[in-house]
Amino acid sequence: MTPSNDIAEIEEAKISGNYSARKIQRWNPSSIYATSLDNTTNNDAIHMNLPENHISPAQMYSTDSGKMFHAGSICIIMVGLPGRGKTNLSISLCRYLRWLGVRTELFHLGDYRRKNTDLNNASDLNFNKLNSNSYFSLNPENSKIKILKQEIKNELINDILTFFQSSNGQIAIYDAINGISNERNNLYNIFKSKNIKCLFIESIIDDLNLLNDNIKDAVNSPDYKSWDPKDALINFQNRIKSNESYYENLNSKSENLPFIQSFNFGEKILINDLKHDFLATKIIYYLLNAKIKSHSIYFARCSLNKLNFKDDPPITDSGKIYIKKIFDTLSTDFSNNKIPNDLVVWTSTRLRTIQSSQIFKDAGCTVIHRPELTQLNPGAAEGLTDEELNKKFHDSYLSHESDPYHHRYPRAESYHDLALKIEPLILEMEKLPYDILIIADETIIRIFYGYLMASNAKDIPMIEFPQNEIIKITYHTYNNAIKKLVVEGIDKD
Amino acid sequence: MPITTLADSNPIKLCVVIVGLPARGKSFISQKIVRYLSWLSIPTKSFNCSTNLIQQLKESNTTANQLFNKENTPNHEILNKTRQLTLDQILKWFTEIDNCGVAIYDGINATKFERDHINKTLSDNNINTVFLESYCDDQSIIDVNITDIESTSPEYFNSVSLQDTINSVSNKIQFYDNVYETLTASEESNLSFIKLINFSSQIILNHIDSYLKSRIVYYIMNLHVKNRYIWLSRHGESQYNLEGKIGGDAALSERGIKYSHKLVEIVDKYIPNHDRLEVWTSTLKRTQQTAKYLPFPKKQWKALDELDAGSCDGLTYDEIAEKFPEDFKARDDNKFEYRYPGGESYRDVITRLEPIIMALENQENVLVITHQAVLRCIYAYFMNVHQEESPWMSIPLHTLIRLEIKAYGTEVTRIKADIPAVSTYKEKGTSKLGESNNSLNIMSGSVISGITDKIVN
Repeated sequence: MTPSNDIAEIEEAKISGNYSARKIQRWNPSSIYATSLDNTTNNDAIHMNLPENHISPAQMYSTDSGKMFHAGSICIIMVGLPGRGKTNLSISLCRYLRWLGVRTELFHLGDYRRKNTDLNNASDLNFNKLNSNSYFSLNPENSKIKILKQEIKNELINDILTFFQSSNGQIAIYDAINGISNERNNLYNIFKSKNIKCLFIESIIDDLNLLNDNIKDAVNSPDYKSWDPKDALINFQNRIKSNESYYENLNSKSENLPFIQSFNFGEKILINDLKHDFLATKIIYYLLNAKIKSHSIYFARCSLNKLNFKDDPPITDSGKIYIKKIFDTLSTDFSNNKIPNDLVVWTSTRLRTIQSSQIFKDAGCTVIHRPELTQLNPGAAEGLTDEELNKKFHDSYLSHESDPYHHRYPRAESYHDLALKIEPLILEMEKLPYDILIIADETIIRIFYGYLMASNAKDIPMIEFPQNEIIKITYHTYNNAIKKLVVEGIDKD
Repeated sequence: MPITTLADSNPIKLCVVIVGLPARGKSFISQKIVRYLSWLSIPTKSFNCSTNLIQQLKESNTTANQLFNKENTPNHEILNKTRQLTLDQILKWFTEIDNCGVAIYDGINATKFERDHINKTLSDNNINTVFLESYCDDQSIIDVNITDIESTSPEYFNSVSLQDTINSVSNKIQFYDNVYETLTASEESNLSFIKLINFSSQIILNHIDSYLKSRIVYYIMNLHVKNRYIWLSRHGESQYNLEGKIGGDAALSERGIKYSHKLVEIVDKYIPNHDRLEVWTSTLKRTQQTAKYLPFPKKQWKALDELDAGSCDGLTYDEIAEKFPEDFKARDDNKFEYRYPGGESYRDVITRLEPIIMALENQENVLVITHQAVLRCIYAYFMNVHQEESPWMSIPLHTLIRLEIKAYGTEVTRIKADIPAVSTYKEKGTSKLGESNNSLNIMSGSVISGITDKIVN
């Protein structure tokens, strides 16, 4: 192994004491106050550029170079015909990697093309035609189009290099067809010369039903904003056809690149020549669980969560009324005002939440109880007001004020602890092909929300989920969207 | 706490069925999965077909060479019985552990017919199955594995000579080679399987449909099959060690500095191929000072920092017993789960060590210089020490620990620098430091004196 030129994790131990080492050295204090990705918490922040001192929810530590796990810089290059879920996969992978604290940025070739051309007006680019002169042909004959295509690609590649060199970037995801073997080898060599590793991820669909479903979704792409859906579909199908004859699959015999080939979104996966570092295997691990999702995750608060942490009483009468109202309000969001029986409900293992989920069981839903969904353990801070905390644990109180996401009161858990604990649930959530309702305490909802909306760690403890709202987060190709359902007749808290 | 997956609300019942010709590292992989999942607190047990086969051969007065001859097939009565016996043991085990855990069926399982039978039996008993094939056509890897089988496999303990074993293994390979059917997605498309080709130079995954399976894949991808060493050491004695304080970021004591010099000599003498050695330390001063004179590339990992003692950081055990009597007792009662106020538990340390374990699994020639609690966790992983015992292991100062990773297990050797140091070991129920003669907590394996080069015990 060559000596590492990545001095990412070489830091002088500046302050004595492990405790301070974790609390102060781990995060640059200014990072805790860094600008949020997004101030209006109702937008998915996945497409925002990362601020320099961004701290992610499940990040274990931070380094001066911005790199983690001594894994160096990696360029993930997506490969696949149009309509194979590349954009969807790259966004979902980016969400997971960012959440782990890996500085990841998305580079969609489509965004660069839209910036430089106009799909509605540029008739000379033959966007709408199916022939070898079209912009969407992998190998257009028209030299003007050829040059334009190359220029757009060069701009993107330069941006990737800048991201690695000047923005502390660790992973860039290059989302385009990349269907020609020679071009892939060129990319590999360009990045190799800059000491950046490449990992190709190809998405292949040979299940026709799956492919058709996915193509239908493509008409929602920003390319077809003002189009008639029928015309859009025809245009998109033409785009696929014009690429098919030139397209070359990744093949371990003809090009021995490090790659992952995924068939029908992970049903079968082929992995070739991977250099088995921690981050690469973590990516595969995620791909094994990631599905193309178009479902929704609903969040409702459990009633009576002002109890002491250790109390576990049965459900009360008002609790029963509350859960009935949640049930009725949720019903209105489904067709025929009826809760579908493929809805999956997750709750904690507390007696009252088990009992309150009975109504969903009776409606035919699958109900699952998991201990990880238990609220944040407040430890010695339980039941104390801010004033009492300030008096009783003065130093601890001050640390909590400055970093409520990572700080733990004696015997307590932090939000960061919760995030690490629910990682398996997040992967299972990505895998389940159904709508999910999570009934949990506000602390747990914050963690899931932080993942789904790509929040900055520092914002998470502040996000409020009133008792009288059901939050609905829906997976879309480009970003996740939020809707709030108000539950009538319930107080805010 | 039963482990469940969310895809179905039943507790996990998973059987990993190993597939592969002899000398493909099957037992190595089985042992590793047991080690990793146990370390994550999931009950896991490997069921080795060979052990059952030996018994069947004895009962029917047959020798292995007689059985593995051209005229016989995998459908031979002895082999059928062996298969049934192994399956029965697995089914029985699942009832014993409250139906929650992972069983590894470590056998050859060469034909579609056999695999079909196993899959059916298990699914009839509501056990989820994933097949794991180690396919290898690189003769150099196979040869190394055959030699290793000779020295460690229980099947060949009574072998007369190396040649004897090689002949016997080759005989067995030939027998199975004729009938062997490799797993393919086209032929056995409905099976959930993982296929490793020449030790993960290529991997094929088919229907990896649960979280736990994906976790196993993730782990296996990091595995290295070669026999190799991992070198571990605590930092040299620190000022805090002298004062009996825990945690902190103190510098080395005079004797600690002596150790850092001596370590250069010991590495030179005992670590083969050390020109390619890489040294990993934590971000704390005492480990970096210990590595200071070693002329090798170094990496500093935050994840290797000592267990965070929170508000007890910088105190002596006497002071903790006095200031936090409840904590002191709670920690002795369940040291693995106990978390210092504002600090960490052993379980927390294991969570953050996962990237280190993965990195150690796919590297050779690494010397890790870190701290007592972190070393206990790493040691527990490689030596399969139960979580109730691992926090109580005694790991001496000024000692280089060699772990030799082999197919059937790990061997430990300690090389003592013979530089005196205080003991930082605290037994249950006392705040005093120092080992008693309680040998349970002492590491296994032999001890070599770094001065005389003689085996001490």
